[in-house]
Amino acid sequence: MNLFNSLTMTAMFILLLPIIMTSTQMYKSSLYPSYVKTTTSYAFAIVMIPALMFIYSGQEAIISNWHWMTVQTLKLSMSFKLDYFSIMFMPVALFVTRSIMEFSIWYMHADPYINRFFKYLLMFLITMIILVTANNLFQLFVGWEGVGIMSFLLIGWWYGRTDANTAALQAVLYNRIGDVGFILAMAWFLTNSNTWEFQQIFATKHESLNTPLMGLLLAATGKSAQFGLHPWLPSAMEGPTPVSALLHSSTMVVAGVFLLIRFHPLMEQSKTAQTLTLCLGAITTLFTAICALTQNDIKKIIAFSTSSQLGLMIVTIGINQPYLAFLHICTHAFFKAMLFMCSGSIIHSLNDEQDIRKMGGLFKSMPFTTTALIVGSLALTGMPFLTGFYSKDLIIETASTSHTNAWALLMTLIATSLTAAYSTRIMFFTLLEQPRFNSLSPINENNPLLINSIKHLLIGSIFAGYLISHNIPPTTTPQTTMPHYLKLIALTATITGFVLALELSLVTKNLKLNPASNMFKFSNLLGYFPTIIHRSLPLANLTMSQKSASTLLDLIWLENVLPKSISYFQMKSSTIVSNQKGLIKLYFLSFMITLTISLLLLNYHE
Amino acid sequence: MSIVYINILLAFVTSLLGLLIYRSHLMSSLLCLEGMMLSLFIMMTVVILNNHFTLASMAPIILLVFAACEAALGLSLLVMVSNTYGTDYVQNLNLLQC
Repeated sequence: MNLFNSLTMTAMFILLLPIIMTSTQMYKSSLYPSYVKTTTSYAFAIVMIPALMFIYSGQEAIISNWHWMTVQTLKLSMSFKLDYFSIMFMPVALFVTRSIMEFSIWYMHADPYINRFFKYLLMFLITMIILVTANNLFQLFVGWEGVGIMSFLLIGWWYGRTDANTAALQAVLYNRIGDVGFILAMAWFLTNSNTWEFQQIFATKHESLNTPLMGLLLAATGKSAQFGLHPWLPSAMEGPTPVSALLHSSTMVVAGVFLLIRFHPLMEQSKTAQTLTLCLGAITTLFTAICALTQNDIKKIIAFSTSSQLGLMIVTIGINQPYLAFLHICTHAFFKAMLFMCSGSIIHSLNDEQDIRKMGGLFKSMPFTTTALIVGSLALTGMPFLTGFYSKDLIIETASTSHTNAWALLMTLIATSLTAAYSTRIMFFTLLEQPRFNSLSPINENNPLLINSIKHLLIGSIFAGYLISHNIPPTTTPQTTMPHYLKLIALTATITGFVLALELSLVTKNLKLNPASNMFKFSNLLGYFPTIIHRSLPLANLTMSQKSASTLLDLIWLENVLPKSISYFQMKSSTIVSNQKGLIKLYFLSFMITLTISLLLLNYHE
Repeated sequence: MSIVYINILLAFVTSLLGLLIYRSHLMSSLLCLEGMMLSLFIMMTVVILNNHFTLASMAPIILLVFAACEAALGLSLLVMVSNTYGTDYVQNLNLLQC
């Protein structure tokens, strides 16, 4: 009997406190942002204790608080599942969120509604934790929808801008399409397992699990921006940089991957689902890496990088390694959030300039940001013994030595070298060469809030991989012997990408500017996917519905075929046929006289 | 024929005369049409109730339904005329306009 359950519940309750305080005076004061940041750091400290207990003794728990209702045979209650995944994810999420909140005190300090911004960030964090610790599908769905709504509110933070509203709407619509898959899976589990609790779902045996797994895969495609439902993620960069750092790199977009990881006992049993997952992840990672090569907005490049890494996580689930995918989620959060924060620092310093063609030469003027950017990019590409290495290299090794689809593996390797290529592109265009921005830019990174927040994530990016992977309980055994060329294949692909990109960048400085080739246009316009899908599908839908409902049913059948045609026909025929002059009174009077005379005559008829 | 029947028949004849003889407004003939229907209804009800002719008890109600239909028809004709001319004077219904 220890404090495992109580401390977790305490940490969750502490996170709720600033939301409860919104009706008091604290919310209107200027101390609210740092209050929220302190709350988050306290919650992180408290939730580390159950995490350390879990690391030491492997203790897991399920907290079932409150029986909500029973619908005939389905029991719905509020229950929290604190197992390997949720206990390890919560400290990571809270650490990253604490750093991002400290960063956004600096980034959004001139915003008049900064208190509301922090409230939204905190509500997002709470719903994400609800999602991660949910023990039944209903509670998970509550968290799922919650992060979707907070994403909408935060992407459209600057709602005066049309592009921001469009992007927020895009995010909600694409997530909705994924939610259809989620509800399909929920309905299937309800009718076939009579429950929404994970324990009972995993305990019963079913013949064919393809329906719910396809539903869950669709949900993950929507939420984690896999190929087919991916355009919302680069568009979501319309939101402020802290939002991009928190939602669209570390926490929300991994919700889809997390869902698939939660259902790994079912994914193990279905080869079809695994193959589909693998191919979907491979397509995503390659396609988004190609798109990232020619983007000009620094946040969009990092967004595509996130999408590519998510595809890699989906590939890992496809080769039946959920624990490796989870490790990559945890390590990826650190360096991706830090990359976004560095880009925020650069953007603010150059007076809101986001185009990398107008940056340059920041290597000497912003040393701390430069350091963080380079370390983050190296960690992203999997430089040995930084954070990304412990998860990414393991994934590539496991994929190379497992009995898997060779095409998917090839796609993943090409995407790995492209990762290095676009990371080099970011670093080359922002940091090296001569400056291409206006001379009077307020380049200043000398703010303790900015420096401390990036410093925390910097230390995390360097050491967290080692610390996490050496302290977690052992799960699936990684392959320890393989030919040396397979061991080095990830490193070789990465170095190839680096060298090629650097050479090309240096060479193109001295070349004449050519008009864009077709391949460049394909990559720059995101493969024409948004251009085609966003216009043609809604147009086809609306035209079809207008033709069938309005034109066909209303105008033709209900209005014209019977009523209008009858009245038109009658009028035409009556004008043609009648030869009356319209003397109604004469006609009526003659009728009356006829009637009277006939009555009088026939009365005296014998 | 008892005095009651003669009374109601007289009401019917009066309304009929009003329908056939009117000066300017089309509306007055429609009102007299309603009066005819009313007197027919009363006549029918009284005859059926006095002779205990139970099986024909639906007849007045059916008569009422058809009376409503024809009133609606008459009113729609009035509205058509009034749409074209603004008033319902009968002198408008000559050959100049359909």
